[in-house]
Amino acid sequence: MHSILQIKDARYFQIIFQAVFLSYGIFYLHWAKEGTCFSYYAAACIATQFLFEWIQHKFSVTSPGFWKKFYNGCKSALITAFGLCLLLKTNLWYVCIMAAFISIAGKYIIRYRKKHVFNPSALGIAITILLTGKAWLSPGQWGNDIVIMFAVCCLGFIVVTKVQKLDVSIAFLGSYILLLFARQVLYLGWPPDFFIQSITTGSLLLFTFFMISDPKTAPDHATARIIWAVLIGVLSFYLTAFKFINAAPVWVLVLLAPSVPLLDAIFKSKRFQWPGPVLSPS
Amino acid sequence: MKKKLIIITAIIAASPVLYSFCGFYVSKADGTLKNKTSQVILVRDGNKTVITMYNDFKGDVKDFAMVVPVPVVLQKNDIKVTGNNIFQLLNDYSAPRLVEYFDENPCGMRLMEDKAYSMAPMSRSKKDDAELYKNKSLGVTVEASYTVGEYDILILSAKESSGLKTWLTGNGYKIPKGAEEVLEPYIKSNLKFFVVKVNIEEKEKTGLENLRPIQIKFNSPKFMLPIRLGMANADGDQDMIIYGFTRRGRIETTNYRTVTVPTGKNIPLFVQKNFSGFYTNLFMHQWKSEDERIAFLEYAWDVSPANYVKCDPCVSNPPGYNDLKTAGVWWLGNNDEDYIDGNEPGGHVYFTRLHVRYNRSAFPQDLSFQVTPNTENFQARYIITHPATGSFNCPEGKKYLGDLKERRRKELNMLASLTGKDASDWDITLNDEENMNISADVSYSGLSKLSPDELKKTGSASTEKIIFASVVALACMCAVKYKVDRI
Repeated sequence: MHSILQIKDARYFQIIFQAVFLSYGIFYLHWAKEGTCFSYYAAACIATQFLFEWIQHKFSVTSPGFWKKFYNGCKSALITAFGLCLLLKTNLWYVCIMAAFISIAGKYIIRYRKKHVFNPSALGIAITILLTGKAWLSPGQWGNDIVIMFAVCCLGFIVVTKVQKLDVSIAFLGSYILLLFARQVLYLGWPPDFFIQSITTGSLLLFTFFMISDPKTAPDHATARIIWAVLIGVLSFYLTAFKFINAAPVWVLVLLAPSVPLLDAIFKSKRFQWPGPVLSPS
Repeated sequence: MKKKLIIITAIIAASPVLYSFCGFYVSKADGTLKNKTSQVILVRDGNKTVITMYNDFKGDVKDFAMVVPVPVVLQKNDIKVTGNNIFQLLNDYSAPRLVEYFDENPCGMRLMEDKAYSMAPMSRSKKDDAELYKNKSLGVTVEASYTVGEYDILILSAKESSGLKTWLTGNGYKIPKGAEEVLEPYIKSNLKFFVVKVNIEEKEKTGLENLRPIQIKFNSPKFMLPIRLGMANADGDQDMIIYGFTRRGRIETTNYRTVTVPTGKNIPLFVQKNFSGFYTNLFMHQWKSEDERIAFLEYAWDVSPANYVKCDPCVSNPPGYNDLKTAGVWWLGNNDEDYIDGNEPGGHVYFTRLHVRYNRSAFPQDLSFQVTPNTENFQARYIITHPATGSFNCPEGKKYLGDLKERRRKELNMLASLTGKDASDWDITLNDEENMNISADVSYSGLSKLSPDELKKTGSASTEKIIFASVVALACMCAVKYKVDRI
């Protein structure tokens, strides 16, 4: 088992940084419910993780030690719980539980060639909103404070470079920002601060560095990853600028998830694996 | 020990003067026309929006002109005028409120009688005249022209901002400085311009002194309010109060934070004398400390006709079925299933009151909104507590005075943290009748003489900051540890 102080796994950083963002939201932005919500998300994510690990353990012959595997998976479950809490809003505890269950169950059930197809929290968010109608995304909730933006970028950078998938974040953000700049400033003629306001939202940066960057749901090959991330950037831009859809990147990430197996089939490369016991669908 | 509240005091919102909407006035006279506070009703369901703009124009009505960017060319039956009363009603219903509680005398004596207060909100208005439009070929197309109520309305589309500017100037309008910067992006975004002037003849026919609100409806996925154009002729900060109605739940801004104003706070008794001033200061202080780029939520409630608890407690009449229809809530009573028990018109209506104070530097973008399924009720409510009266010559009475002193100390601290102004900035003298048996050291003026440290002797709200700092410190430690391990 890993000791917390011998950090080899970038997920520890991700957990800690997401905890920082959540506490910033609670203590500085005065979010009222997120503390309670987080406990629901975390408990439900870990319980679901346990359930599916246990089922897998029961029916698998080659599986290594159950607890080791479960512990390793818990890190991912916790990241999913933070991801849900930082993005999804709801007043109802059972909606929290449902979102958590869908997120984790999704990565065990919807699989293709031993790789889960959807980003867990993005899938949980999308299905929960569509099915219950009692939850929503709040793209304005982070405000445009430049300090927190800087922090998100820096901390995100550390996490992302640690797992060597900065290419996805850069490709997505680059294409999205470039198109937005071309539309808002060059074509429509808005002053620069209009554009700055569009790109300094916490939601966009969290998505860039803590969601799309998930190496388990991105294509394996570097070229494929860039193509995929640019595709998400372009489609997000289109939906934001012309269809006035809020929080478009999250929806696009879910929408384009099925393209990952296709890209993996065309561009073959080594599968990403978190440190720890193998075969864990974390 | 505490007797429950009886009384409510309502005030009109933060600003005493309520002017018109978020478009801009185009002045024909030399006098500068400014819109400082505007009120607007936003009704939204699906892609359909109904916007009602309160018209509180001051000055000669022939100088009145308003330009509002709209996403589509409006048809004549998409435009109508409504009564002014609806704004007064919604404002009274949803304004921040002061609630009074009365302590009971622990020694069993009771002298006070309950009193009811109501600070009547103020209303205002003005006069009239109109003009003729000419059309030139400057890339400006008059898409439609209507006379609705006392207004002459043109819907313009333009190809370039300089053409539009020339057209407006050529037709006798003065374009406010700074408005040009936003004309171009609006034209390129394919917005139309809804230009309103007063038709003097029609105005006289109405026999009304005031200009009435204009209500427009249209279908568009865009759910926004064009505040940028309104900044053109405003000095500094402008206030806007938005009354939102939806079928699902609260509305919130998507490109700025929506923040709830502090509520349920116990504040000193003397605030009663100047609650309006208190709230103005509170709003200002909170707005500054939240970095200005926010929309404040002041009220949110389910006002469906079938919901019997439309406020708790109510400070004025909640909007009824007819008021909601006037406000533009079109879906009410349209379906048979909306009628509960065959008579009460049903259907869901959720009300949100947002208060935005904006200026050019903090608000580079227009306000964008979304409808959320959040149906949690909210009200901005502040509490004052009257002390017990009579003699306190019993052991419980002594204890009561001790508790009272502690409570008042906390109230003074709360006042300072809410408004950023401490007791020295307020008129803290109180009606002696009520304080006859309360010694000087328990009075607010006595307490306010304490040093700031004594006043704030117990822990403030810094615990949460400490927790946050610890989490950040932990994160930094881990990052350092990771770096060290790598070397």
